[in-house]
Amino acid sequence: MAPRSGNVGITRRSVLAGLSGTLAASSGCLSRIRSLAGRNQPEPISVSIKTLPVDQDPYAIGIARQLSAWFEAGGIRASIQPITAEELYRQTLINQDFDVFVGQFPGAFADPDAFYPLLHSTYSVESGLQNPFGYTNLLMDDLLERQRRETGNKRTETVTRIQRRLVQVCPFLVLGFPNAIRAARTDRFTGWNGVFDPSPTNLLTLNTTGTSATRLRATTPDDRPMANLNPLMSSYRGPSDITDLIYDPLAYRYRGTLYPWAATNWEWTDSLELEVTLREDLSWHDGERLTASDVAFTYQLLRDTSMGSPAESVPTFRYRGRSSLVETAQAIDELTVQLQFDDCSRQTARRVLTVPPLPEHIWTDRTNKATVRGVNVGVTTTDALVTANVPPVGSGPLQFDSVAQGETLVLERFDDHFLETPEETGLPSALSDGLAFEEFELQFVGSDSSAVALIVDDEADVTALGVGPDLSSTIGRATDVSLNVDRSEAFYFVGFNTRRPPLTNPRFRRTLSRLVDRNALAQSVFDGYVDPAVSPLAGTPWLPPDLTWEPSDPVTDFLGTAGVVDSKRARDAFRTAGYRYNDQGRLLQS
Amino acid sequence: MGVLAVFIEVVAVLSLMLSVSLSIIVGPERLRTAVADLPGRLRVAVKPIALLAGVLLINSVVRNVGVDLSWIIGTNITEFIFSLEGTVVATIQSITPGWLTVYFGYAYVYGYAFILVFPLLASILADERRHLRHTAFAYAINYTIGMCCYLLFIAYGPRNYMPALVEPALFDTFPRFQLLTSEVNANTNVFPSLHTSLSVTVALLALRDREMFPQWTPFAVFLAASIVLSTMVLGIHWATDVIAGALLATFSVWAVSSDRVASLVSRWQSLYARLR
Repeated sequence: MAPRSGNVGITRRSVLAGLSGTLAASSGCLSRIRSLAGRNQPEPISVSIKTLPVDQDPYAIGIARQLSAWFEAGGIRASIQPITAEELYRQTLINQDFDVFVGQFPGAFADPDAFYPLLHSTYSVESGLQNPFGYTNLLMDDLLERQRRETGNKRTETVTRIQRRLVQVCPFLVLGFPNAIRAARTDRFTGWNGVFDPSPTNLLTLNTTGTSATRLRATTPDDRPMANLNPLMSSYRGPSDITDLIYDPLAYRYRGTLYPWAATNWEWTDSLELEVTLREDLSWHDGERLTASDVAFTYQLLRDTSMGSPAESVPTFRYRGRSSLVETAQAIDELTVQLQFDDCSRQTARRVLTVPPLPEHIWTDRTNKATVRGVNVGVTTTDALVTANVPPVGSGPLQFDSVAQGETLVLERFDDHFLETPEETGLPSALSDGLAFEEFELQFVGSDSSAVALIVDDEADVTALGVGPDLSSTIGRATDVSLNVDRSEAFYFVGFNTRRPPLTNPRFRRTLSRLVDRNALAQSVFDGYVDPAVSPLAGTPWLPPDLTWEPSDPVTDFLGTAGVVDSKRARDAFRTAGYRYNDQGRLLQS
Repeated sequence: MGVLAVFIEVVAVLSLMLSVSLSIIVGPERLRTAVADLPGRLRVAVKPIALLAGVLLINSVVRNVGVDLSWIIGTNITEFIFSLEGTVVATIQSITPGWLTVYFGYAYVYGYAFILVFPLLASILADERRHLRHTAFAYAINYTIGMCCYLLFIAYGPRNYMPALVEPALFDTFPRFQLLTSEVNANTNVFPSLHTSLSVTVALLALRDREMFPQWTPFAVFLAASIVLSTMVLGIHWATDVIAGALLATFSVWAVSSDRVASLVSRWQSLYARLR
């Protein structure tokens, strides 16, 4: 210890002298203080992961928890928010209020052009299923536009480049295609394989077992179809979308081939001009005739749901990619509609035919600015994007019968549908026989184990969505119940909100993606019921060999071994990407 | 088995449990007097039971709109609860043997329904007016505060949050019960645990008035403890929900027992009467 000086008298003079001395000494480092104090204190990075609870998705929260553990090993705090489906998709797809979200892509990735709405920068500011990640990149835009124009090998090459870029810059990570497990009763109906995936229209392939069963009873853990049947609202439409049964497209993709559906044929009259002829005697569920003018109206509505009335256009929440291909749509006569396309190949252009037409006499009143009981709430949107659309008026094989909110939705066979008439349809025989049942009931059930219990007790026929792998033995043991395992087209993904730092930085996202071990997820979360993948086009001829996922060659370089992140390697990778850590080992924003 | 069938099953089992327990605990003598004076007993019961029914009615209305409303105004506290307690529920589950899980399943469904109904019926039949009034008031307090919490806090239970660690034991063991519970409650309404708060309320009131039905008190305490444990063993509630539920129960019993609260209420009543 230093000896203390006995008695220190502080005089006024000594204070003054000390002060002026300090001032003189500090003048040199004043600029140093300024340049230090002007700096913001770097904040540790934390992200929230939004996803569905177990009751609504058997895998999503397991994925989220595993991600959170991996991110934690990299020094990133990740909190998890389980959110009910309706709210989750409103927050993520409509309000863009998320950092990271884990979910299932709603529907199949039928064509590489599905990348266009998902990643093109012009959609980054829109609400809806189009570009929910807010990804913007001019080079990517160029590739997306090129694949629309190109054909053959050139298009394959461009699509390959898009996929490679996707794996590099990671606006979202594909995790894999689940093998959906379903329980189905076999004593009333047969032909269950693939019935609900990717499209419920596959219900047409069911047959009765000869019993007098007239009602097909399906269970679902998703209560959204009982609240809303608007085909334009992405936040209510899931991987197996019930509105597909109510609204018929012009053409229907079945096992990779496009078949004429509400249309009988289409013909190219010019390089970018298509004439589509509708079937005769098509009608809407309310009895009105379905004409070419409804079809033309639909393409205009999808471009701008306000039909040009307010100053700003109000695009839909769905079908943006396909509807953007159409430049003009015009009804030539009752049954013929003429479509003019923007610059694109015929192969891509045909995709617009899979969009379902909407009845003009109903939706034309929904183009006004939406209000709440007449009060303007300050949001520029139209009734078309707000209405619950109950009862829906479509032209599909099933029409609306009744709904009990949060409980059941009942649809009944539409006897005027072209499949129910004896005429030749030109469709594969599995589809062309019409429906094997008169009524379809979709019943909300709180969790997958009680859904399976209902099937076993003959209270329901099929679980519409996949159930958890722990139930497969229960299903296997039950009598008259089959265990159906189908590879789903609706892949699981991790979406990043690239509008928010540090997720704006592709290097950061890429390093995050290296904290994800699909092999470990497949084992620990999916119990093997998944085909891991890195591209949405896995399983199609579009996938380049270098992006084929295999356990021994998982494409992305995981920063660890056997599902355990090597903390040191992860930290080194983030440091290489330009990031720093604080004393507590937390990754810093800047 | 449909919702109705499960409902009938529960009602049948409950009636059996009640008739056996009432005849033992209330005793044949008091029952005989009760039958003789049934209209009088029921007249006394009308007011507190009507109050309870009113609260339950408001409850069911709020519950219908409540889930949507709470997604708008509520805070999602699932993650926060997890950060508080971690894997306590998973540990409790892992040390519970399988056969006990079945017992807890029955405790959760039948035991709970029984513990709620018994004190009301018993005190009507035994003409224990104070106990009846206090039980009904305490239930009303529990339901009202619980409902407010459900509106303000959104939380998923452990079975929904950590599926790898916590098994949804109730629904795996008795899938039919979920049909019933999902009718009664949404899966985001877990904080606080009303199963805990109401059973603890009954147990505390049974302890307070133990000379009334001496056989009931130890049984009520044991049953309440089983129900409290079952909420966690079955993976439905967090330990935090259970603690909050127990606090709510203590508060409600204090409120109905306290003289100060009683005088406050009577002062309000006289003020209200004067204003009229």
